[in-house]
Amino acid sequence: MSSREPHDDDRGDEPVGFGDLEAELFALGESLDVPAPPPADVAAAVRARLADSPASPVTRPLRRRRGRRWAVVAAVVLAVAALTAATPQGRAAVAQILRYAGIELRLGATPATGAPTPTPATGAPTTTSLPGEHAVTLAQARAMVRFPVRTPAALGAPDTVTVADGGRVVSMLWPGGLRLDQFDGTISPYLWKQLGPPFPEEVHAAGVDALWIGGAHPLGYIKREDGTSVPLRQAAPTLIWESGGVGHRLEGAGDKNRAARIAASLR
Amino acid sequence: MDDDEAIARSLDGDLTAYEALVARYSALAHRTAAMLGAADEAEDVVQEAFVKAYRALASFRRGSPFRPWLLRIVANETHNLTRSRGRRNGLTARLGAVADPVAPDDPEGAAVAGDRRARLLEAVRGLPDGERDAVVCRYFLQLSEAETAEVLGRPVGTVKSSTHRGLARLREEVGGELA
Repeated sequence: MSSREPHDDDRGDEPVGFGDLEAELFALGESLDVPAPPPADVAAAVRARLADSPASPVTRPLRRRRGRRWAVVAAVVLAVAALTAATPQGRAAVAQILRYAGIELRLGATPATGAPTPTPATGAPTTTSLPGEHAVTLAQARAMVRFPVRTPAALGAPDTVTVADGGRVVSMLWPGGLRLDQFDGTISPYLWKQLGPPFPEEVHAAGVDALWIGGAHPLGYIKREDGTSVPLRQAAPTLIWESGGVGHRLEGAGDKNRAARIAASLR
Repeated sequence: MDDDEAIARSLDGDLTAYEALVARYSALAHRTAAMLGAADEAEDVVQEAFVKAYRALASFRRGSPFRPWLLRIVANETHNLTRSRGRRNGLTARLGAVADPVAPDDPEGAAVAGDRRARLLEAVRGLPDGERDAVVCRYFLQLSEAETAEVLGRPVGTVKSSTHRGLARLREEVGGELA
């Protein structure tokens, strides 16, 4: 198994003086016995659960128009602020919770994981997929969701419009990695944040207070059924705000001023 | 069928391909869950993680390694579980009956080594959460620093420092008498 192979890439800068202890720990790990059911049984059980549920990872249009849409997989978009700068010494682990409709900010005392990989400037629309996300026309999107869908006049017609999570999230995509998510903000997510720089910055946009997350950050969604988090991808700097019970998330606008201008142009 | 092919087929809705992927990573997933604190609920955690991984598979960056991506979901599930019940069970694992390779003909020496091993395991169990998780990932799960960072959702620098602090603490606890 590949996990048994030494990791040459990072063994070179191991702390000096711990070599013997590390060897002992490796040996100890080898000797540890963790009970586990036969892999075939686990695989069969997982398959049975997946076969029972219509939710699938496929990003193509799903033929799922039945009334159980709310029961399947929930998505609350959550943004975790990127903490690209090194954390100063010994910041106390005071947790703060930051709530914005439908979005959960988790601010940690330590930088968020992952190399910053902002959406490519010339790339196709992001490959991220929320549960059940599929392309529709703008008119279809408006018919499928419970909240008013607006478009930013500053940007013109989007390249792509998608609806996800049984009509809870509408996303619009433009060239250059610009993405606007609008989602039902009336359902409270669990909100959780740990302190750590850089903090989201308050921005006045579109007549509401918005938050600017200036760094690349991991993005995931929270399953409504049990509140667990599923990672999606590394997101570019994002402006988030709420208006009229609708949560908004604008990613890829570059800087906060442009993001605010786009936000203010929503009609 | 390698991981990439299994993932591609799974994305096309081929549950048999995904079943193969589950079987391949089942033992490691259980080990990860148990060692990060899922205790006797490791089986539930792992099953849930595989179900979630399947549903999130479209977000998996093709060509990147599947193992840390999956284990991150396992670790998240484990942490959600421990957070929801308000406590961690710490590291669940049994010391196997392993003949010490350094002292095959020396029962007394083997007993001493076994005792030290048990003390070292206890010391690892007693580490602060962050340090224990890093040490467990690096040495018991044999993940690289980069993989550990991805699995635990922490920057590599934090993994490095947590590991270092953990090692220093372990050295203090059990000493270095058995080189």
